[in-house]
Amino acid sequence: MITVKDLHKSFGNLEVLKGISAEVKESEVVCVIGPSGSGKSTFLRCINLLEDITSGEVTIDQDVINDPKTNINQVRSQVGMVFQHFNLFPHKTVLENITIGPIKVKGMKEEEAKEIALKLLEKVGLSDKADAYPESLSGGQKQRAAIARSLAMEPKVMLFDEPTSALDPELVGDVLEVMKDLAREGMTMVVVTHEMGFAREVGDRVLFMDEGIVMEEGDPQQIFENPQNPRTQEFLSKIL
Amino acid sequence: MLDALNSMFEALMDSAYIKSLPFLYEGLKLTLLITIVGLFLGFILGAFTGLGRLSKNGLIRGISTIFVEVVRGTPILVQVLFIYFGISEDLIGVNISGLTAAIIAITINAGAYIAEIVRGAVHSIDKGQYEAGRAVGLTERQTMRYIIWPQAFKRMIPPLGNQFIISLKDTSLFSVIAVGELLYQGRQYYNATFEVFETLVMVCIIYLMITIPTSVILRRIERKLDV
Repeated sequence: MITVKDLHKSFGNLEVLKGISAEVKESEVVCVIGPSGSGKSTFLRCINLLEDITSGEVTIDQDVINDPKTNINQVRSQVGMVFQHFNLFPHKTVLENITIGPIKVKGMKEEEAKEIALKLLEKVGLSDKADAYPESLSGGQKQRAAIARSLAMEPKVMLFDEPTSALDPELVGDVLEVMKDLAREGMTMVVVTHEMGFAREVGDRVLFMDEGIVMEEGDPQQIFENPQNPRTQEFLSKIL
Repeated sequence: MLDALNSMFEALMDSAYIKSLPFLYEGLKLTLLITIVGLFLGFILGAFTGLGRLSKNGLIRGISTIFVEVVRGTPILVQVLFIYFGISEDLIGVNISGLTAAIIAITINAGAYIAEIVRGAVHSIDKGQYEAGRAVGLTERQTMRYIIWPQAFKRMIPPLGNQFIISLKDTSLFSVIAVGELLYQGRQYYNATFEVFETLVMVCIIYLMITIPTSVILRRIERKLDV
């Protein structure tokens, strides 16, 4: 589904990604872990071209997304992205946040988009918040609304960039529940996270990143119980 | 007692405080016309220039920056003389009316300041908003129009109101090219009647009657927007 080949990304002289290759299969949940500054978020942001790719290749389905001929808006509409700080549109209601994509990008009728949005809100447990503005929601509710906004575009892949890092501890659970539901339904997901419990329970595969490369990858059990790379061992011993 | 009040009232009605009013009223109409039309056109100019200063295209960014710097770095009095005498009369050889020159001057001058207001407001919107818009699949233009601009516009309202007050006062400079705005009418009046003090008091009062309510309303909006 997603193939990344020798991905490099530099900001000026600073090389953040130093050759990453990875693959995500359909319906797979891949969790990316690693210390801060290791390039996890940059890696994720390269997958929907929120960052320009310096060199290498990212393919989603058959489209090489960093090929100038590829229509990037179309690619993005098939890749959902959930941000650490939610990034809901504060001047729009929760419902409008969700319907704007389908209406403006897919040209959907307002009524139809509304219907889809209400179903999604029910799914993430926010049916009663359709007409609320984001500022009146708690962090966990905001993030669930943001997930619904992404799902409205019916993406083939969902990218999560530390979706629970900005949340109060007691609000993390609800968001993780929604993500688990998605995983169970067979959504292809790439999740940058510090929630090792989630990675272990829901992840099909775990990538450990450090210093701009994938240091180790494997199934969660192997990574968490029997890490091979000394850096992985060190990292896990600090946080577990 | 009543007689005394009555004669005071008659004296007032007979003074320049009241008698200048019909004259000044004519001037006020032009002052408002120049300010409102100039600011409207200036906003359009400023919006393009302000967004131009944020453009990825170096040429557009350069032109916008030069425009803003040149206009903000020269006095508006020089600008209007330039437009009225320098360019239209001397360089091109076409006579434009003082009113036209005045409106152009406010448009250009306010345009440059509004460009900075627009640039600042758009720049102040969290980058995550842009990214979220793009991530949903909106094009750059759609993201600008539906996500960034509405949020930025809210933040522009207080400084735009401020610009209204500044431009309103700037129109008094146009008396030098004989545009019959408020101050010009006042000068005409006191040149004929020699009631300089009374006339200028009334000119000030009329300016204040517009500027003070405007700033009160602005402060209320500001508090409401919490900026």
